[in-house]
Amino acid sequence: MAPSALRKVAAPFVNPGIFDFWVSKLNPAWSWDRPLARVVDRKVEALDTVTLVLKPNAHCGKFVPGQHINVTAEVNGRRTTRSYSLTGIPARNGRLSLTIKRVDKGVLSTHLCQHTQVGDVLELGAAFGEMTLPAKPEGEWLFLAAGSGITPLMSLTRSLAAQNMPVDLTLIYWAKTRAELCFARELRALAVQFPRFKLQFVLEKEAQLLAGEESGLISSEQLARVVGNLSAKQVYACGPTGFVDAARSLTEGQVRSFMAEGFTPMAPITVADAATATVKVHLAASKRDLEIPTNLSILDALEAQGLKPKVGCRMGVCHSCVCTRAEGTTLDMQTGEQDAQPGMDVRICMTRARTDLTLDL
Amino acid sequence: MSKPTSRVLSGDELARFGAEIDALRARTVADLGERDARYIRNVYKVVRYSEILGRALLMVAWFLPEGWVFGTAAVGAVILGLSKILDNMELGHNVIHGQYDWMGDPVLNGKNFEWDIMGTSDNWRKTHNFRHHTYTNIHGMDEDLGYGVLRLFPEQKWHPARLGQPLYALIFAILFEWGVAIQDLRLGRWLTGRVTNKQMFQISRPALLKMRRQLVKDYLIWPLLAGPGFLVVLAGNAVANVIRSLWTYTVIFCGHFTTDVQTFPKSVLKNDNRAHWYVRQVAGSSNLSGGFLLNVMTGNLSHQIEHHLFPDVPANRYAEMAVQVREICARYGQYYNTGSMVKQFGQVLWRILRHSFPSSPQRAMRPKMAK
Repeated sequence: MAPSALRKVAAPFVNPGIFDFWVSKLNPAWSWDRPLARVVDRKVEALDTVTLVLKPNAHCGKFVPGQHINVTAEVNGRRTTRSYSLTGIPARNGRLSLTIKRVDKGVLSTHLCQHTQVGDVLELGAAFGEMTLPAKPEGEWLFLAAGSGITPLMSLTRSLAAQNMPVDLTLIYWAKTRAELCFARELRALAVQFPRFKLQFVLEKEAQLLAGEESGLISSEQLARVVGNLSAKQVYACGPTGFVDAARSLTEGQVRSFMAEGFTPMAPITVADAATATVKVHLAASKRDLEIPTNLSILDALEAQGLKPKVGCRMGVCHSCVCTRAEGTTLDMQTGEQDAQPGMDVRICMTRARTDLTLDL
Repeated sequence: MSKPTSRVLSGDELARFGAEIDALRARTVADLGERDARYIRNVYKVVRYSEILGRALLMVAWFLPEGWVFGTAAVGAVILGLSKILDNMELGHNVIHGQYDWMGDPVLNGKNFEWDIMGTSDNWRKTHNFRHHTYTNIHGMDEDLGYGVLRLFPEQKWHPARLGQPLYALIFAILFEWGVAIQDLRLGRWLTGRVTNKQMFQISRPALLKMRRQLVKDYLIWPLLAGPGFLVVLAGNAVANVIRSLWTYTVIFCGHFTTDVQTFPKSVLKNDNRAHWYVRQVAGSSNLSGGFLLNVMTGNLSHQIEHHLFPDVPANRYAEMAVQVREICARYGQYYNTGSMVKQFGQVLWRILRHSFPSSPQRAMRPKMAK
């Protein structure tokens, strides 16, 4: 990658697309300005779950254990982006690990689990997420992980292990069956190595439990049995929204602190109730927030509030009104299709809002 | 031979015609995927390799034994010209229409793509994507009807200076990329003093920057890289740019200026709807019949009718959509204007010649507009 001074001089002469086309012939992960990473290792972690080890290029940012990252790959011609947790800890060689569980009908998770090979290139976003450890962790910690909620908590566990486990840590990890447990062998080894680390697997649908395994959904009895006294615990919970909500209400007022991340996406408005609904729209470029109805095109709705977005044919033909939908679900009035892919361009004259939106307007 | 006419559709028929075209679009859009992505990436790849090949031949030409210089440079210039044609038409024009926006690839994004031609893509988005495609062939709305330079229809005012039109048409063809670049600057208002020099400079700034970039690239940097071969590269680039202009001009003129295309008065916009718009796109456009190579080299404007019905559907789909469009048009009695490039361009040349002389809309036999 060119040093920054050279880049500055060269920038006016460089078309990033053309530059990337040629350098990718030398190394598919090289780019003028895009954060790309090459898959250098792939291992099956558990049933329907794969860990990809990535070698990022110089445009990829740093991360802190517990954070997520947007991963983009092209599936059936369409760039598809989802967030995944980084499961490793920052490494000297810069490599990143992502652990991905295949979701039923999940476009990107299926692609990453079943089709992505060593040598493929993925695009990465900047790492984000607040569920990280303080610089000097102390006290008692309780990690509650359900399903793929293990991923950020695995990164945090590994980080604590790398610091020789300076705190008392209990990890309770719920999975449907034993075959779906990720990192089981490594976690058991850590539990043996560090007396301050207590590990508990909970299998919800396993027919026969082995010694040391629990079963059943999260409950106060279960927490009392496994953890004992909660009052000194700093709790991090991660899993489906239902699990996270249960964990919150079960520990509320009884623990030192509680932080959680849930990952069930916001359900779009169904067409039946779309006629009367209003949603919040954030216009990122002009830093405005407003509410618009979902029964008008976004263009008509914005104009009704006195805004004057760039406009052309008003019939979906000319693409003058195209803007980037950073977040949210919209409905294409021509095809009747809903779409929530972040960073996609939409023609606002032919698009209605389905959820709260962030637009690059 | 009597002029082909399109049946005037009743309100009900018009609605059904519109619905069938809508359904064809929906079917195609629902099927977009890997194959279309691979197609446009292959086009991008061919543009890149042919550009490098053309430029490399021009660079080395000077250093070859004497008998080889001209031949190598000529081949290089032609290849570079073809590369620019592909870049402007099958790649740039189609990508800038947003045809591949569904891929989400920043390199193939309609809003950001910039092409290897004098005009800015921003300007094109306005004059072409919006005005020409929304108001196709409507007098006073679609400036592509003669580009303010040529009189191609009897509805346009005649002036004795029009007698020189065949010559203007030739000059315009050679300088076509420049014509497109300044189309939206409306220099007339500056020449007549309605816009001050300073205002004009402000308006022209993006266009001037793009022109500078193109000029510096083709006539300074690449020639300098060839050292003593400076002039060979400079001349080769000029030839390539003119080849591109001549070809794009020819293809584009075949799209709307053949004998049987219809033009429309502004009044069609009263009580307009999508089905009317579809009918006008068919009546106002003409196709070129040919095979894969013609389709690619014309940026699929060989399917001008399909392009006008579906400007933001990937052009690589037009050939298969054309079969269905043609069938729908036949059922609704809508004339589907197609013919060989020789035939269609012959008609264009006749139009340029004919309307350099006085002509009037009453005298010209004109098919009735379906409305």
